[in-house]
Amino acid sequence: MASYSSRVRGDAARWVERGFIDQKAAQAIVADAEAHDRRSLSFGSILAIMAALLFGAAILIFVAANWEAFPRLGRVGMLFAIIFGGYVGGAGLKLADHAAIGEALWLIAAAAFGGSIALISQMYHLSGDEAQAILIWCAGTTLAAAALRSGPLTMAAVALSAAWLFLVGVSFWRNEDFPHLFMVLAFVVWLLSYWTRSAGARHLLLLSLVLYAALLAAETEVMHVAPVLAAVSAILFGLAVFLPEDTERIARIDGLLPVHGLIGFLTGMVMLQIDIGDDFAAGFAIAAAITLAGIVAAVVFGGRDSRGLRWIAYTGFAFELCLIYAVMIQGMLGTAGFFLAAGTILGVLAIAIIRIEKRMAAPASASGVVS
Amino acid sequence: MTGKKLVLAAIALALVQIGFLSWIVAGRAAVLRDGREVLLKVEPVDPRDLLRGDYVVLNYEISAVPVSIVSNAPVGEFTSQDGPIFVRLGKDEDGYWRARSATLGAPAGIPAEGEVDIRGEVRPGWSSGPDGTYNVSYGINRYYVPEGEGSEIETNMRDRPFSILAAVGPDGQAQIKALMDGETRLYAEPLY
Repeated sequence: MASYSSRVRGDAARWVERGFIDQKAAQAIVADAEAHDRRSLSFGSILAIMAALLFGAAILIFVAANWEAFPRLGRVGMLFAIIFGGYVGGAGLKLADHAAIGEALWLIAAAAFGGSIALISQMYHLSGDEAQAILIWCAGTTLAAAALRSGPLTMAAVALSAAWLFLVGVSFWRNEDFPHLFMVLAFVVWLLSYWTRSAGARHLLLLSLVLYAALLAAETEVMHVAPVLAAVSAILFGLAVFLPEDTERIARIDGLLPVHGLIGFLTGMVMLQIDIGDDFAAGFAIAAAITLAGIVAAVVFGGRDSRGLRWIAYTGFAFELCLIYAVMIQGMLGTAGFFLAAGTILGVLAIAIIRIEKRMAAPASASGVVS
Repeated sequence: MTGKKLVLAAIALALVQIGFLSWIVAGRAAVLRDGREVLLKVEPVDPRDLLRGDYVVLNYEISAVPVSIVSNAPVGEFTSQDGPIFVRLGKDEDGYWRARSATLGAPAGIPAEGEVDIRGEVRPGWSSGPDGTYNVSYGINRYYVPEGEGSEIETNMRDRPFSILAAVGPDGQAQIKALMDGETRLYAEPLY
């Protein structure tokens, strides 16, 4: 995808051509856009991060191979050297204006920390569970993110906490309680993400929280958890749409809180409907109607400014239709009737929305159009 | 963050992480060096489950602790609860150490001469009536082997007796010292 500044450059050239603005104004606009363009990940830094992930995977697999030609103490020493060299060398590179490579080295060092935990378990034949090892790894990575003020390390910490949540949350032979500790972890890392200025970590955290709620619902009682998830998500969506400046000032999440609200709402409602199933047709119909109404409301209130939100709404809508069909497949006529009613309502809504959007767009395009 | 501060933070971070890892290594090495040696009989487990990846799954004779020898087993409960158990081991004529008695929660006094307390975790959900047995995990259920050498051990383990020489620390924590094929040490564990 083209960056914002390169799109502005193209637009400005066209505006000059059409005579909206002169060459001087175009240059000023492009210069301003380039200066304020959010420093997005460049191609080089993405490659550096990918290389770091490959190196990290190589370290972990090297440990797993349990290669005897290399004495253990040598392996431990090598990993310790990577930890030290990665953190300190990365800091040096960051200061020498090679930020992306510096961050990549830090990720390698964090991977070496995880590899060391695995190696020590192997050396002493510890049969403690993997989940605990990942939790320690996550704690070490969180500490590293805080000490180095690193966004990528913060995202790595979120990914590890989600991996831990998943491992413990879905284990069939559960010896331990549900991983409620995740909420504490999420809160700590969320606060940390302000310090490391990592909006990406906050996005991952919100998605992980939905995963947490979904696992909790599956583990305990869907009827208790899923409605709460849907309601909280709907409230967040409402706050984000009607008080955009205030929520953005708190969440600082690139204005994408409505998208997360919709994802949470859809997850909760779909779980609820699957749980109700066809045991209680009236309840299912009400839940389905609420879901469809929610999707429509999301598009009406938040869809205009966000293409991502619209796509999630459309996907959710299609999924919802499949779900209704799957659950109500016994009564084709009933399903047909429901779709007919829903289709009529949506058709009327569509006409209304199109008219509203046209009317809203009209004053803006009425002034200063030269074509 | 200023340049000097960032480098100092990186050095401190690296030292904290390396220090933490070394502390684990030191603790484990101490058990191996100073712990009491016990020889534990390994029982073959279902061969399909025996080898996963590059470690051998070990099941011990002492993994099954009869409820009848647990002095403070709760009366009237039908399934076991998750929690620590201390199993007092004594050496038999054949050289293997076996469970003499056990207590849930904390060890019962100081073990006599020639006995040692080993700490384990009761696995929950097993029948714990008076005739039942607790299934106990001692944290030594895996033996990591170099890549590709596991299946041979797996085959041999079904033919003849294998055992584990373990070291038990003062707090009851067990640590694998060597895998024994009869009288021969297959792999001996160095301290580091």
